[in-house]
Amino acid sequence: MAVLTIKNLAKTFNVGTPKASRVLDDISFDVRGGTFVSIVGPSGCGKSTLLNIISGVEEHTSGDISLTSDAGGPARMGYVFQDPRLLPWRSVMKNMMYVQDDRSEATVSRAKKYLDMVGLAKNADFFPGQLSGGMQQRVGIARAFAVEPDLLLMDEPFSHLDAITARGLRAQLQDIWAQSKKTVVFVTHDVVEAVELSDRIIVLQPGGRIYEDITIDLPRPRRQTDPTVATLQAEVLGRLETMKAMSRTASAVA
Amino acid sequence: MSTTMAPVKARRSTTEKDKATPAWQKRLTSDRAARVAALLSFFVFWVLMSALFARVPGPVEVVQRLADEFSRGEVFGNFGLTLYRFGVGVALAAVVGIAIGVIMGLSQLGRAFFESPVLVALSIPAIIWSFLTVMWFGFGDLSPIITTFLTSVPFVIVNVAQGVRGVSRDLRDMSTTYKVPLSRRIKDLVLPAVTGYVAAGIRFAIIIGWNGVLLAEWFGGGGGVGYRARWWYDANRFGGFAAWVVLFVGFIVLLDRFVLDRAIRRAFRWRDASA
Ligand SMILES: Nc1ncnc2c1ncn2[C@@H]1O[C@H](COP(=O)(O)OP(=O)(O)OP(=O)(O)O)[C@@H](O)[C@H]1O
Ligand SMILES: [Mg+2]
Repeated sequence: MAVLTIKNLAKTFNVGTPKASRVLDDISFDVRGGTFVSIVGPSGCGKSTLLNIISGVEEHTSGDISLTSDAGGPARMGYVFQDPRLLPWRSVMKNMMYVQDDRSEATVSRAKKYLDMVGLAKNADFFPGQLSGGMQQRVGIARAFAVEPDLLLMDEPFSHLDAITARGLRAQLQDIWAQSKKTVVFVTHDVVEAVELSDRIIVLQPGGRIYEDITIDLPRPRRQTDPTVATLQAEVLGRLETMKAMSRTASAVA
Repeated sequence: MSTTMAPVKARRSTTEKDKATPAWQKRLTSDRAARVAALLSFFVFWVLMSALFARVPGPVEVVQRLADEFSRGEVFGNFGLTLYRFGVGVALAAVVGIAIGVIMGLSQLGRAFFESPVLVALSIPAIIWSFLTVMWFGFGDLSPIITTFLTSVPFVIVNVAQGVRGVSRDLRDMSTTYKVPLSRRIKDLVLPAVTGYVAAGIRFAIIIGWNGVLLAEWFGGGGGVGYRARWWYDANRFGGFAAWVVLFVGFIVLLDRFVLDRAIRRAFRWRDASA
């Protein structure tokens, strides 16, 4: 069943003003439950805007968007942002609980479980300022999983981290995802990362249209060292380069 | 042959430094020592001044005058009167200031509306307000209360507005995506973000408002600390005047140190913890 359905979605900022700019143009796709979908594309092509529309922070200008939960009620959403976005005056555990519906024992132990999964069980009583950037980002990831979302949105969650920390967290994310089988929409401009994590990659082009929708059919867990992974990464990267070259020519002609 | 080389200038760890520093030195370089030193030097300065100038009353004389005022039964009545006026004025300033500050922080329109009046109010000194209120309200309780309110409310407004505006957009968006209920948003996001500013605003209000109440009493003549200080001043008895000054300055310093400062520290605990 599709958790997320998007039809002819468009977004224009500053409608009706001289500054009006169309950021997303006629986007249609749907995401089936339990899949990991990546959205890649060059900087400024509207990836974050798309996620913000899905999450409800931003309104869309036209088109349809619908979210359904397996239970039928309003869909629960988790969001891992580019930065941790924790309440600086609340402890790690209180930050985890801030986004939870209730304070029941089951909820508390679930929050603890995910903190433990990202290796921060010992830091539950720390303030965010007492953690490193990578640790804070892990709290953000644990927080998102702990709400048991119908849809988990992630916006370049590893882009502020150093390569080694990022690789560790990517492996962790694969593990947690394999256990929980959440539906994920993951934004990145890193094709290598997208191939490693996703079932499917949606490529956005400048101007906010879908350029390509690629299915990644590789066994999991995927390892950087696996040659088939590397081959596919190179191939997708090549297609992205073609797209960039084409859009350059197009804008040169126009 | 192997030689052990001592590092040219190794930097010492905090543990090493801590061990190497004798206890007396730690005590001597503490914050408290600095505060005590400030008090002591002020006291010495005062004694010197009174020794040099006949018109500056020394500590002994001031304490005597103070004791006289106590035995005359002037202290509690006047002090109580002033505290009452001051308390009402500051409380009013806190309530009105927080309300206007929140409006200014949340709404563009509110900000546009209040910005200029607040700036103007901010620039008017307590002495002008006290003249005006005595003119408007005469010699009763109202003029010191309104003076206190008017001198202090702009500081509360400015601080609170700044705090509310500072509530991070990112954190608000985060709360929206997780559908955090409004009550919890206020409790865990807005209030903690603003309490420090509210506390700082009220602290300013108290210190500034104190000026206001004393000045209004000085010119108003309806009793109170300011009135009593002026009475001695007019009588050319500087000992009595200084006794009252010492009394109210002492009071405000104690209030600030033991009540306000602590409240503010509590509000900013999370920030100290991450430093
Ligand atoms: N609030 C806004 N008002 C006007 N324009 C905006 C606003 N937010 C984003 N934009 C514009 O929309 C475009 C897409 O922004 P968006 O943040 O979605 O890009 P992105 O694909 O996430 O890029 P990056 O990879 O750099 O994060 C940009 O040109 C940006 O200037
Ligand atoms: Mg972005």
